[in-house]
Amino acid sequence: MLLVLSEDHKEHLSFLTKADGSVVEEFGRIALDFLRKGTNPKIYEGAARKLCVPVGMVQHGVEGLMFLMTESSKHMISEVDFMDSVLALGFGEELNQSLLQLYVQHKHQIRSILSQLLCNQPAYHNLEWRLDVQLASRSVRHQIVPMVTIRLLLTRSSDVGSTHSCMDLQTDPRSLLHMISTLEAALAAVKTSHARRILRNIK
Amino acid sequence: MELSESVQKGLQLLADQSAVNHRSFQVLLDVSFRGLLSSRADPTVLDQPELKHMDRILLKQSHAALTTFILEAVKHNADKSTTSSCLEELTFSTDRIEIFFSAYQKHKNDIERLLSSMGRRPPHVNDVSWRLQYHMKNGQLDKINEPFYLISLNTENEGSSEDINFSCTTEQLQDLVSKLKDAAKSVEKASQM
Repeated sequence: MLLVLSEDHKEHLSFLTKADGSVVEEFGRIALDFLRKGTNPKIYEGAARKLCVPVGMVQHGVEGLMFLMTESSKHMISEVDFMDSVLALGFGEELNQSLLQLYVQHKHQIRSILSQLLCNQPAYHNLEWRLDVQLASRSVRHQIVPMVTIRLLLTRSSDVGSTHSCMDLQTDPRSLLHMISTLEAALAAVKTSHARRILRNIK
Repeated sequence: MELSESVQKGLQLLADQSAVNHRSFQVLLDVSFRGLLSSRADPTVLDQPELKHMDRILLKQSHAALTTFILEAVKHNADKSTTSSCLEELTFSTDRIEIFFSAYQKHKNDIERLLSSMGRRPPHVNDVSWRLQYHMKNGQLDKINEPFYLISLNTENEGSSEDINFSCTTEQLQDLVSKLKDAAKSVEKASQM
């Protein structure tokens, strides 16, 4: 699969064709840094002063690289397809190679960053349990009520990073057994021939 | 079992065969148990034809005393000898003690269950539902292709129910189930001690 780069995108990156190899490498490093930690406009200004070019040009260059990296990682394109895609940018062979290196080295990391963006649903993190027996209370003494106290830890990822939340729950032995058998059925469902066929065919 | 003076007085009224006849005693006993077990307070609980002839104030006093006595007896898990000796002291006849005790035994478990459910506690998990999904792609990523589960724990707290929803991968669900199994195993072990 080839990436289709828009004219704007090509134009933004065209600045790099005129720049030095070390500058492109530096831009690549900055682009990855921004993907990890978010952008920092001060760095654009510093780089623009050093290179004696407008800030916008630097910004477009770095953002163009960021977009190139995220799009390639998003589609998991092969190395050959990546090379064919960037050919359209008209860079030299050396520059293409260094972009490929950047992509190959960092695609998994970029994918894991991207995977945190969308799923805003709480996800399972851990479960702790404790067996309690209620012996007495204000309203009635002499009780023997066994119950399992559960602490459910969930993570929720958001723009500012992931947050843990914990919930204290309780259940009786009978409901516990019911939960186990229901969830075991859930685990069995992924091993059925129906599920396996879907998993095998949609790749 | 310690009873306050007003409860003792109310019960002594009930013991008095000339003030409360046999039929009224039985009806009042029945009404008291029913009142404790019904989910809603019924203001007309004492408007029974069998209780019409009694003085309203005395009737209310003895009703309050009787319900208090029942609650205290259940609270302390009182057996026959304890309730008998207590009622004997309050001049109850053997006949009425017997009637009380048979009604007490009949309703004791229900009242005990009700009383033990009172008070604060964490939400109670009653049920769980699940859905298996295959995550193929999203706006940010292509070719994810991972199965995952959406789990919904149905919990109940003080009469209101709430669902706790979360997602988990197959490995995480295995982890969750194995931890729940550990818990179930330790419950089983504890029950055999």
